[in-house]
Amino acid sequence: MSLLEIKNAHLKLDNKNILNGVSLSVNKGEVHAIMGPNGSGKSTLSYMLAGRDGYELEDGEILLDGKSLSEMEADERARSGLFLAFQYPVELPGVGGMSFLREAVNSRRKFLGEKELDHLAFVKEARKEASKMFVKDEMLKRAVNVGFSGGEKKRFEILQMSMLKPKVSILDETDSGLDVDALKIVSDGVNSQRNKENAIVVITHYQRLLDYIVPDFVHILSDGVIIKSGGPELALEVEKNGYSGLINAA
Amino acid sequence: MQHSLKDDYANCVKNYTNQFKENSFRKIACNDFKSWPGPREETWRLSRLGTLSRKKIKPITPNLQKKINGKSKHIGSKIIKFVDGAYRGDLSSEMPLGVNLSSLNDSESLEYLQKLKKSNLNHHPSTNVSLSCTPSIMKLTVKKNVKVKDFFEIIYEGGEESQSVHPVLYVELEENSSLYLIERFNHFSTLAMPLQLTEIRNKASLNSIKIFNDNKETYNLSAHCVHLSEESNLNSFSLIKGGMFTRSETHAYLNGCGSKLSLNGIYISGNNQHHDLTTAIYHDVPDCTSKQIVRGVLGGKSTGVFQGKVRVAQDAQRTDGQQMSRAILISENANANAKPELEIYADDVICAHGATVGELDDDQLFYLNSRGVPMDKAREILIKAFLEDMINQSVDNSLHDFVFKEAELALSSIIIKETL
Repeated sequence: MSLLEIKNAHLKLDNKNILNGVSLSVNKGEVHAIMGPNGSGKSTLSYMLAGRDGYELEDGEILLDGKSLSEMEADERARSGLFLAFQYPVELPGVGGMSFLREAVNSRRKFLGEKELDHLAFVKEARKEASKMFVKDEMLKRAVNVGFSGGEKKRFEILQMSMLKPKVSILDETDSGLDVDALKIVSDGVNSQRNKENAIVVITHYQRLLDYIVPDFVHILSDGVIIKSGGPELALEVEKNGYSGLINAA
Repeated sequence: MQHSLKDDYANCVKNYTNQFKENSFRKIACNDFKSWPGPREETWRLSRLGTLSRKKIKPITPNLQKKINGKSKHIGSKIIKFVDGAYRGDLSSEMPLGVNLSSLNDSESLEYLQKLKKSNLNHHPSTNVSLSCTPSIMKLTVKKNVKVKDFFEIIYEGGEESQSVHPVLYVELEENSSLYLIERFNHFSTLAMPLQLTEIRNKASLNSIKIFNDNKETYNLSAHCVHLSEESNLNSFSLIKGGMFTRSETHAYLNGCGSKLSLNGIYISGNNQHHDLTTAIYHDVPDCTSKQIVRGVLGGKSTGVFQGKVRVAQDAQRTDGQQMSRAILISENANANAKPELEIYADDVICAHGATVGELDDDQLFYLNSRGVPMDKAREILIKAFLEDMINQSVDNSLHDFVFKEAELALSSIIIKETL
């Protein structure tokens, strides 16, 4: 059974067809990359998976570890083990980083039937994970994403991923706004979480990120459908010939 | 001839002052109160007193033996109590060295009245009625060069149904002095009309917190006039959460060069509450700064009003005046009104203002949801953060927790109601 199964997903926004039958199977231990030009439906796909209001499927189905997500709100999907790393992480003025992480982690633990972490145990765990992502203590004391640089925001996203230990992580253009050094830190963070039990879907414009997070499969999304799937070499083909060649061929 | 009920209260006030001499400050004040301001008066258009004017109320005769068993713990180390609007020495702390608290005599009271009459609070009902009916005007003085370390806490309580209370205070910070003052309004009367004049002399500094938490049936029409002299500083924060109808009106006159004012406020309103924060800041001389952040959270069928006027006189060059108000509606039936007003006659100034009214931000809610936080909890987190963020900016570190808990108490009752 696939860990994430997208079957024939159709979605409209403002009466415009955005997803026109996306199907994708992601198994445990796999990393998939979804590439596509601007406007191909990549971000819509990630919002749809995460369960954002207004991004409900018109037709089709999504299964996470065999369970349908269609009736689940965003928070329930997250507690069930789906994680979305945002392209533009949202600022939460007044919400401290540490208490935000604790709220998120304890929501997931409660769902899994695990005991909620007390304050001290949590702080210890958070600091340990944070240091791996080069997230300083001082950053955890600040309000979530407020005044963070592009790199800090993305590092904080991956820190959340490492603490929530999701079954499936969707990384929406995690490379955008990152310089080479930051890209390496973020990618190392993601790679360190690859294991046989989880799966990662990387959504990106560019092949560059895939040098660091090497996918098992690459899919090309265009006009809301996957027009081609292949191995990592497909990403190199995009880099060389652009999307237009592939789209025309399809 | 039939008198309208509206005049009844004016008559009661007049009768009350009959016991005093003809030329007393009370009579002068009383003559200037004919009736409640009507909806045609621009500053009362959004906060109408129709219901109040139909109530049968008369000025209270303070019971000087009355003791109130307050539920809340004191936060200050020096306590000053007003019960039924009257200062109660038996329930108040001894004043430390360098601080004086006493009542004004008749001629001083007349001077007090004249100072208010020169301000734009001259027609405010609390100016005229409270000066007519107050048991006495109390003056708190911090002597020159005295930096008071104790937190002063003034508690206004007592009052009875169908009666009005009239605490009147004069606070003077002499040159180069400083004070931290917390005022808590916990009245039980139908009407409370606290009046205050504050004068902050050269290089003096006042930190002020006001918490309006009167009984749920109470109308509170607070009026406060502040004068800031050269290089003086007022850092003021108000939390309005109680009462049926609370209007806190403050007029601040920056009339010494280099003075700095921060006039922040939060209102948290639920049920049928009406909360109004009205301020006027007058930049009359150059090189002064005023900053104002106002935030409101409204549930139930409540109404919030923010009226903020900033006037920069022609000579007040290099003024820096910033004002920002934001209200969040958490119920469809709540209402928020914001009326920022800038009047600028000088040309070399930085002035900015912004006012927004809206709901919680969808992106922020989704971000929290996407981390597994359920919607109700996400809303609660964002509302608390919205207020905490501002409390942290406005209030001394050592009082963050106290003020935030006061806000949280009010929030929890309106949030719970909205999610049921």
